[in-house]
Amino acid sequence: MLPSIAFVDPDLSHQPEVLLVDDDEVSLLLTALALRERGFTLVEASSGEQALTILRDWTPDIIVLDALMPGLDGFATCTALRQLPGFEHVPVLMLTGLDDDASIARAYEAGASDFYVKATQWSLLAGRLQYLLRASRTRIELERSKSKLARAQDLARMGSFDWRRQGGGMLLSSEALRVLGCGPQDPVSLRGLLRMVPQEERGVLLRLLHDALRQNSVLATDVPIVLFDGRQRVIHVEAEPEFNDHGQYAGYTGILQDVTERRQAEDKIRQLANFDALTGLPNRRQLLWRAERALEQARRMQHQFALLLIDLDRFKIINDTLGHGAGDELLVEVGRRLRACVRHSDQVMDSSLELVGTRSHRSLEAVGRLGGDEFVALLPEVVDDQDAARVAQRVLDALREPIFVSGQECFVTASVGVAIYPRDGTSVVDLLRNSDVAMYSVKAQGKNSAAIYSPLLAGRGREKLEIETALHKAIERDELVLHYQPKVDVRAARMVGAEALMRWQRGGRLVPPGDFIPLAEETGLIVPLSEWALREAAKQARSWQQAFGFADSIAVNLPSRLFERSDLVEHIHQCVTSCGVPHRVIQLEITEDNLMKELQNVIPSLHRLNEIGVEISIDDFGTGYSSLAYLTTLPISELKIDRSFVRDLGITPQSSAVVTAIIALARSLGLRVVAEGVETLRQMEVLHRAGCGLMQGFLFSRGVPADELQRWLEQTVLPRKAPWIGAASAIELDPGEVAALAAGGRRFR
Amino acid sequence: MSHPGGPPIDPSDDDGAAGAATLDEAALRKLHELDPDGRRSVVNRVLTAFESSLVRWLGQLEGHPDPIDAATLGYIAHTLKSSAGSVGAVDLAQACADIERRLRSGQAVDLPREVQRLTALGGAALAAIRAMLRH
Repeated sequence: MLPSIAFVDPDLSHQPEVLLVDDDEVSLLLTALALRERGFTLVEASSGEQALTILRDWTPDIIVLDALMPGLDGFATCTALRQLPGFEHVPVLMLTGLDDDASIARAYEAGASDFYVKATQWSLLAGRLQYLLRASRTRIELERSKSKLARAQDLARMGSFDWRRQGGGMLLSSEALRVLGCGPQDPVSLRGLLRMVPQEERGVLLRLLHDALRQNSVLATDVPIVLFDGRQRVIHVEAEPEFNDHGQYAGYTGILQDVTERRQAEDKIRQLANFDALTGLPNRRQLLWRAERALEQARRMQHQFALLLIDLDRFKIINDTLGHGAGDELLVEVGRRLRACVRHSDQVMDSSLELVGTRSHRSLEAVGRLGGDEFVALLPEVVDDQDAARVAQRVLDALREPIFVSGQECFVTASVGVAIYPRDGTSVVDLLRNSDVAMYSVKAQGKNSAAIYSPLLAGRGREKLEIETALHKAIERDELVLHYQPKVDVRAARMVGAEALMRWQRGGRLVPPGDFIPLAEETGLIVPLSEWALREAAKQARSWQQAFGFADSIAVNLPSRLFERSDLVEHIHQCVTSCGVPHRVIQLEITEDNLMKELQNVIPSLHRLNEIGVEISIDDFGTGYSSLAYLTTLPISELKIDRSFVRDLGITPQSSAVVTAIIALARSLGLRVVAEGVETLRQMEVLHRAGCGLMQGFLFSRGVPADELQRWLEQTVLPRKAPWIGAASAIELDPGEVAALAAGGRRFR
Repeated sequence: MSHPGGPPIDPSDDDGAAGAATLDEAALRKLHELDPDGRRSVVNRVLTAFESSLVRWLGQLEGHPDPIDAATLGYIAHTLKSSAGSVGAVDLAQACADIERRLRSGQAVDLPREVQRLTALGGAALAAIRAMLRH
């Protein structure tokens, strides 16, 4: 005998449960014994009626029914149990007699899964039951899988279809019909489907279908369709050919999926990735991609192409004064005007270029926004410089008309730099850099113009770059020094303070401040440089204090951006305390322009500095735009008359008038006033008579190293040897002359 | 009654029923295989079940008041056929199969004669079963 485990299906989690129905008690007993022996669990019934009663409360894995029974026979029982809910697919094995063909046919008609000729070969019966159980499980799994697939297809808005070449036509699953917006009963033919495709797209699709059919190839494409309710969708179709048993092509089977949302999202992503959100122009990424393609084409076809870098002049001022909203409005309008200057194409943004033909590089032509107020015009083919220059001029002309933003007219100009492949660079990076060099040369020469790159321009740029790099290292290499120019009280003939002036000793020569301070301001290096100057000044004050009892202040020039730093007060505090000198030894000079430009941001710092004893002096006073109202409230101690007025003293009556006014203003506001750039005794005398006794200038001393200043004090001032000392003491202040000065100062001409 | 491996008996031959009452050994061996160590008394239970079933059917055949109809005879033959085969009452099983086949195929069947034949073969089988059970 076979061991019972031989018949237990390893896939089953439990012993299979069998309802065995037979009116013959011997057969019932024997069959039950045999099946139990082979691992089945049995419930026996001796009639169809009893079987149906049992099935009310229990569902076996399989039912074995004797066909011929008194009362409800096997066929009637099978028919009845198939009506019971949940028994539609339970496997039923009908036991019939040998060569009883009629019973076999009836068994199937009654819904039996299979029949078995009664015999005592129990292993065969057990094997048959196992087979039926396995088939039933497979069917259940298939049903589940089918239902999952249908659910998944519904979720994925997907459905399947079959298309038979001859006769069968198009067969769509209910899910596919839903995708097409049709009901399950709607007849949909291939022709009907094609009619849903917009006319202008239909030709392309038909060609694609014909090609696929001719070559029996896989079809995968996205098709735009218009549903019967008018909605537009994009359907992805993927199909592969099917072949019959003889290897002959029979039709296509495939899926279709509604990918409208995905396509929209992809389009949006592509748009965002390639186009500037503000202006709608190609962005940096797209521009670079186009430039690379243009370069490849130019190389292949051996022609020139041009890059025009367009940078708006003074855009920052518009942004700062009218606000970012207005700035954005302006950029949009500029973008609109610029795109009209070229044969702008929005279409190309992926690798489809090769498909379009040999002149396809024309479609690369565009204006794009690199970022900020920088635009690029890409001209994929130019014959010569003049071609590019003409477009550059068109750009400048396009901006000539004022632009209305925030209700007011703005005049915008641009600086355009042009680089041409291959002469000015053989890579996009080189061309961009060189167009940038050309553009900066325009800026340097007064803006609102265009320039074509030349290596000469690059030389200047390189020099600037070298200076910038060297300046970065200047502090750590100890190349920076402070020179000091004394402020003198001419009447008392004594030094009342000094202004620290930064110098850069670079490779044995002194770099003038004009050559590196603007660069330091541009690059932000001015911040560490200024911090260094504050430390140095504090140290020097300490040194002079010890050497000759220096008790005045050293003025350090600071850019406004340093005043905006919240740690400025802390930094000054550290500088002076580490040197053991009081806070007042540091005086800060800020230019009138800087002060007024960043007034709101600077005011808090000014107050805090004033509170700790650091005095503030306004440099270059009279050259900018001061609000007198602010001057009365700001914690300022000193005004410095700009050297330009001092230079013209006695030459132009206006200068004398301004100087007199400043002195009067300062006096009435209780501020100290210092005249800068005093070079002659005459200037000194005029200033002195006008009531300004504090001066600074070459007449007294130029900016000199600290030890030289000490020597100047000891050898010139203290022994009263300088010519200005005698002259100053001889001047008597005459109120009439002051009045005359105020009236125009003609007598000094 | 045949013996294991012996020649088949013509089911229509009345004399066949008068042979020695034995059960087919092959069938009995199959019954033994269901319960090799005999712990569950399978053979005994099956034979007892067949005995009571046979007694019931023989009673029906013998005690039928009217001439028996073809459907009743066919049903009794069908039922006895497989159980008789199972316990090794081969002659009875073959007679049943023969009657069932002829009735189903629509051949003319002498019903009283077939009742008599089944009764005789059933009696012999019953004797053999009882002898077996006694043994």
